[in-house]
Amino acid sequence: MITTITIFLPLVGVLLMLLLRSADERTVRYTALGVAAAPLLLSLYVYFVHGGDLRGAPLLTQSFEWVSSLGIGYRVGLDGLGFGMFFLSALLTLIAVAASWDIRENLRQYFAILFVAEIGMLGVFAAQDLILFYVFFEITLIPMYLLVGVWGDENRRRAATRFFIYTFLGSTTMLAGFLALGILSGPEFSVVTLTEAGGTLSRAAQVAIAVPILLGLLIKVPAVPFHSWLLDVYVSSPTSTNVVLSGILPKLGTYGLIKIAVPLLPQGVEPFLPYVAIFGVINIIYGAFVAFMQPDLKALVAYSSIGTLGFILLGISSGNALGLNGAVMQQVTHGLYSALLFILVGIIAARAGTRRIDELGGLAARMPWAGGLLVLGALAAMGVPGLAVFVSEFMSIMGGFETFPVQGVLAALGIVLGAVYLLHMVRRVAFGPIERPALQEAGDAGPIEMAAIVPLVTLLVVLGVFPSLIVSVQRPAVEAVLAAIGGS
Amino acid sequence: MVTGQTFVGLLPEIVVFLFSITVLMVGVFLPRTTGLTTGLAACGTLATFVVTVVLLAVRFEGNFFGNGYVVDDFALYFKLIVAVSAFFAVLAAARWSGETGDAPEYLNLILSVALGGMLLVSMRDLFGIFVAVELATIPSYAMVAFDRSRRESSEGGMKYLLTGMIASSILLYGIVLIYGAGGSANLGDLGQTFSGQLSPVALLGLVLLISGFAFKVSAAPFHFWTPDAYQGAPTSAAAFLSVAPKAAIFATLLRIFLEGMPEAATTWTVVLAMLAIMTMFVGNLLALRQRNVRRMLAYSSVAHSGYILAAFAALQGAGLQTAIQAVLIYSAAYLTMNMGAFLVIDLVGEEAKSYNGLFTTRPGVALSMFVFMAALVGIPPLSGFWGKAWIILAGVQSGSILVYVTVGALVVNSVLSVPYYFGIIRNMFFEEPVTGAEEPKGLGAAKFSVYALAAATTLFIFFIGPLAALVGASGLL
Repeated sequence: MITTITIFLPLVGVLLMLLLRSADERTVRYTALGVAAAPLLLSLYVYFVHGGDLRGAPLLTQSFEWVSSLGIGYRVGLDGLGFGMFFLSALLTLIAVAASWDIRENLRQYFAILFVAEIGMLGVFAAQDLILFYVFFEITLIPMYLLVGVWGDENRRRAATRFFIYTFLGSTTMLAGFLALGILSGPEFSVVTLTEAGGTLSRAAQVAIAVPILLGLLIKVPAVPFHSWLLDVYVSSPTSTNVVLSGILPKLGTYGLIKIAVPLLPQGVEPFLPYVAIFGVINIIYGAFVAFMQPDLKALVAYSSIGTLGFILLGISSGNALGLNGAVMQQVTHGLYSALLFILVGIIAARAGTRRIDELGGLAARMPWAGGLLVLGALAAMGVPGLAVFVSEFMSIMGGFETFPVQGVLAALGIVLGAVYLLHMVRRVAFGPIERPALQEAGDAGPIEMAAIVPLVTLLVVLGVFPSLIVSVQRPAVEAVLAAIGGS
Repeated sequence: MVTGQTFVGLLPEIVVFLFSITVLMVGVFLPRTTGLTTGLAACGTLATFVVTVVLLAVRFEGNFFGNGYVVDDFALYFKLIVAVSAFFAVLAAARWSGETGDAPEYLNLILSVALGGMLLVSMRDLFGIFVAVELATIPSYAMVAFDRSRRESSEGGMKYLLTGMIASSILLYGIVLIYGAGGSANLGDLGQTFSGQLSPVALLGLVLLISGFAFKVSAAPFHFWTPDAYQGAPTSAAAFLSVAPKAAIFATLLRIFLEGMPEAATTWTVVLAMLAIMTMFVGNLLALRQRNVRRMLAYSSVAHSGYILAAFAALQGAGLQTAIQAVLIYSAAYLTMNMGAFLVIDLVGEEAKSYNGLFTTRPGVALSMFVFMAALVGIPPLSGFWGKAWIILAGVQSGSILVYVTVGALVVNSVLSVPYYFGIIRNMFFEEPVTGAEEPKGLGAAKFSVYALAAATTLFIFFIGPLAALVGASGLL
């Protein structure tokens, strides 16, 4: 019951935003903050009360048969695989609300749409039914389309349209795969039942079904040949939309791989795993090279964010405990650091009036907090030990190396490349002389802005020092996935 | 033998018939009473709805007139769809027909089409089916041509009339051939004699029958009348005719195929699969080029006929039950989203440009139109998604390669349809508002219909469970 309540709590926010017709901006913002805090508090409650019990089988479940003749039902529950992202969805929505200082027009509508997206995000990571998973998966799509298209920059229309067509194409193919999977194995759409049954279909059928599902999920991630739509979207979005877009949406794809594709179609996915690893490596290396060439700070961060998704793909493809744990954790840490960098870019661009790297410079002197945190964010993105991203990337690479040595080595090389472009960026943006007159009198990040940043930095540091806080929760669930695919 | 039971079984039809006569008479004897006649017509459709719901609730069943007329859950369900769409058509017609002063006649036509559709879904005799089809279509020609102030209306009505007449004669020819080959026009008897090995005469009859019905549901290549008729017709007529008669004809097709010729399933599923694939592509590809929202929705309705026909192709193997569910769910879903989209035209306009910036100027209408467009694309959890999902489910269950191809075409077409539906959303949300666009006055009833349909489209998810259960109990299996 608590899971259902948490998922649909943002609905209250949607209604409040529609009702607060004559309220001033301040009231709207504080109401939205209050509503956004509620799911976060509930998921913290789940963590501290039930965290130890989040085993392989989902906890706090609720289910009822909906169309019994087809085995379709409303089934939700939290397990170690989804909980990290469930928590992060609630956290990043709250941060997106806080970071919405650049949204001036139609603020109520902005928050209402954001809350609809939150329902979808929370729902995906708690869904235990294929149809329900798909429904929540798609509920995130339209709000994101509107957030980008209405509140983005001048290129927003094209970006939003391409975003929608690509992801809809991906999710429709995925749906066809889901429906085929559910019908042929019963009909039965419960993820738990299907995982326990563990690939009852023939190998050929599994492969045939795995193709559309993998394709749809890889478009969603996006893996590199399918990525062209994402850059426009990242660059055109307002800062607070970026937080959710980069932090959560790609994880819908990777989570689908871990939660559904791998355990439900073990034999079907197996022949494609080397290619998934290759996709991961391409993401890492291609992302690093292209990021290095970007003159625009936001585009650099966008490519960095797309690139490091590759570690998740590599970890998933490994099929061993180390790699999968790394992938599940990287989903969270990647969300933390890319949200942090996008917010900082937003702050810096607003102060300087430009995002061009060669026009910036000397930020650390004028804005010690923002500049310093930019350095910290870059270090996190590089995977420097002591910060959370290091742990998850390291586990993904080691796991990947065990199964696919070549891809593992190349991915490790990607870390070096990442260091090159990130340090290059930091040197030009944070240090050196101040070139832009607008920056001469720019103030540092204000209290609201710091409030949006601090939780992210804190988590990056705390999880870097105590990774077991998250790994202990996810490990039993990862072992259940390994049991389903018959690995070690 | 006519007994009391017969009257109970015919109660929905009797109610709608009485109200249609009353509306006409009130119009004759009390001129200038648009409000009264509209209220009467709305009450009539509501009363029909209530009677049908009661019959459904008490699980009334029966065969009348020598097995030629059946009342079962399946028929009652489609009568509900017809009654609900007639209700919204009456509401939408209120303002427009009030201006011209022809309200009683127009409302009478709506109720007559509804009567024809409701009789049609209960018919179990090929000739009875033909008569009911004509009863549903002849008033609709007049409805399309009713707007005398616009030339397009007469043009569309004329085209509709000519093609419709040809279609009817083809349909009748097909019926006669099947009657000759099968030895009976009654679907129950036909089912006994109509074997899997079709004689050439029977095959020709089947193809002609399907062609005739394809005209009526505007399936390609028999769809040419659709855009002109829908563009010329008053909005309420286009909205109503794209839903109610179509749903009734799909229902009767189900009955003909499943009761009258189950043995020949291998033949008609192939024909319908071809028809479905062609219709989906033609509808969507032509809709992509439209700038006029009415024409766009007309082609979209062609495409959606294709989607429903895809469910017919899946009426085989293990997919039978799910495919019937799909037709039922899709018909209801289509009522909510398509009717809503058409009715928005009355509120906003038919040029795509007039939707610019609607999100800022009239957020309620914009949000409703958004819901309809997203539902027509098939975005969950809106109504259209469930229709498409059920068709894919049925297709996968059927286990036939041709059906897999058809379902694949459906998936491709869903993506293909995104640009034109989302073109409207894009205009509403992303563009700057048109200056000086004043909200027309006196649209209370139409606005209520749009909001009610938008709510139904959004909350459709809650109807799925009961709907799926209803099919299990329907008289078809």
